[in-house]
Amino acid sequence: MDQVVGPKYGSRGGAGKAYNQSFAREVYRNVDSGEEIKMCMQCGVCAASCPLKEKMDFSPRKIFTLIRAGQREKVLSSQAIMLCTSCYSCKVRCPRKVPVVDVMHGLAHYALRQGYKPRAETALFGQKFWGNIYRLGRIDEKDVALRYFLGHGLGQGIKLMMENKNMGIGMLWYKRMKILPERPIKNVKSLRKMLDKAKAMGKGGAV
Amino acid sequence: MGDKKSILIVGGGMSGLTSAIEAAEVGFDVVIVEKNPYLGGRVAQLYQYFPKLCPPNCGLEINFKRTKSSPRISFYTLAEVEQISGEEGNYQVTIKTKPRFINDQCTGCNKCAEVCPVERSNDFNYGLDKTKAAYLPYAMAFPMQYVIDGSVCHGKACAKCVEVCNYQAIDLEMQPETITLNVGAIVWAAGWNPYDAVKLENYGFGQYANVITNVMMERLCADNGPTQGKILRPSDQKEVEKVAFIQCAGSRDENHLAYCSGICCLASLKQSTYVREKNPNAQAFIYFIDIRAQGKLEDFFVKVKQDEKLSLVKSKIALITEDPATKNLILEGEDTQSGERIRETVDMVVLATGMEPATATVKVPAEVAYDDYGFIVSDQDQKGIYGAGCIKRPADVAGVVQDATGAALRAIQSVVRR
Repeated sequence: MDQVVGPKYGSRGGAGKAYNQSFAREVYRNVDSGEEIKMCMQCGVCAASCPLKEKMDFSPRKIFTLIRAGQREKVLSSQAIMLCTSCYSCKVRCPRKVPVVDVMHGLAHYALRQGYKPRAETALFGQKFWGNIYRLGRIDEKDVALRYFLGHGLGQGIKLMMENKNMGIGMLWYKRMKILPERPIKNVKSLRKMLDKAKAMGKGGAV
Repeated sequence: MGDKKSILIVGGGMSGLTSAIEAAEVGFDVVIVEKNPYLGGRVAQLYQYFPKLCPPNCGLEINFKRTKSSPRISFYTLAEVEQISGEEGNYQVTIKTKPRFINDQCTGCNKCAEVCPVERSNDFNYGLDKTKAAYLPYAMAFPMQYVIDGSVCHGKACAKCVEVCNYQAIDLEMQPETITLNVGAIVWAAGWNPYDAVKLENYGFGQYANVITNVMMERLCADNGPTQGKILRPSDQKEVEKVAFIQCAGSRDENHLAYCSGICCLASLKQSTYVREKNPNAQAFIYFIDIRAQGKLEDFFVKVKQDEKLSLVKSKIALITEDPATKNLILEGEDTQSGERIRETVDMVVLATGMEPATATVKVPAEVAYDDYGFIVSDQDQKGIYGAGCIKRPADVAGVVQDATGAALRAIQSVVRR
């Protein structure tokens, strides 16, 4: 039986909620790098190191403590797990060497696999980004953007294109984007094989 | 010099002095080898002890007096052990001394320093001020004898100090010396170094003038320190109104020192009382992961935290930035009790850096067992060379005095056994 009920906190007049470890165990078992959470000592360095701290509903520290508290819904439907941009500030500073970035990505994958869509936008972008990598072995900025915009539907897509027009022109001007389509890398088929294998191992795919 | 019944003590700080005095007072000859030009070690640099908040001078003075009055204690300053050979009961030790350039005729009159044209960074005050190249390490230095810093002195080309010295105490041609000793046992009490705060990149030590370390804070508060005991921040000598202490600065951190130094929480609590005592309007903040005040020291924690102008915040600070206009510091973290983000602006930051054993960098020139962090391990099979004090574990002064007494006993056993 997975359902382990620990001591009841606040039994002296408190809420008296049972401490449920089943979700923590689910994470340790199924989430890539999930077990590393055990090392967390709740210092809060990750939370304050994150460049997206103002956008996150829960800081990584809070996510870890919610996992330990068995708050499955809150964690898997949180915005935070989809927001990580892999800047690695938290991972570098973590005094317990928790690979925070890997855990956040692991949780995002797991949430999507479980049918949660915490941030449809981010998931859509991830999908198109991944599609590009899979087809070309590299990113074609205008192609990703176009597919992402049109993923919102035709009307909304055109609106988004107009909104981002100046950025596109800027990128062309500074040669961060080509006018002509990008060509696939050499031997892109081998790359696809690798990506397929990774996906089969549960280590890849779009977030 | 020396004999098989004598004991070598390496390090003349609180541990070394204690071992030396304990062994000498039961009738064994001891030789202290000290790297600095003075005895007393890091205790001499403290302003107050916790939990009693009394000055360390009186305890040190008693130990100096016992050292001076014991015919069985001799010591070398500016000296380091270079080589050890032999075994328990019979060691040959080579000691190298650096020239002091001032002999024991010195009366401490300060005339040499008055005329000396060269300045040097004052290492006793952790570089917070300067002394002349001819200087007295600190007001209560033992031996009470000036010293000339050979690395900056102009030598015979200048020699102004030689002219003014009325006691023929200055000899600019003094040379390094090599001394060989025969001893029966060795106590290694080389002490500790504060963890190098420059390595904590997100805290800006060395980059922002008003980020200092806890050992510097002791000097800043000491009456014989660079500011005569006023807490003036380094950038503009302004009296501080808001001071933040950051705990575990490099401690309990897998990227730096993985262990807890055990004393820094108490030291910061103590230093927060300095801030409050010297300026009743000042505010102090202590940012911590956990406050570790063990045993009876918890009473001190309970007492200090009563102060309404001391805020204890459970958060490891992630980043310090400087406001370039005011040189104030902005701290960012997450209060892990309220869950709220912290953004606090303060006048000065004190990093509570931990203790690294001297043997993390310079090993004993003989076979000795260390743990993963370079502390000497007490090994029952390791006879003849014994660690004492902070070379074995991070500890407070009371702890090292007990440990050094134990080390003295083991050293005595080593010389008596044969």
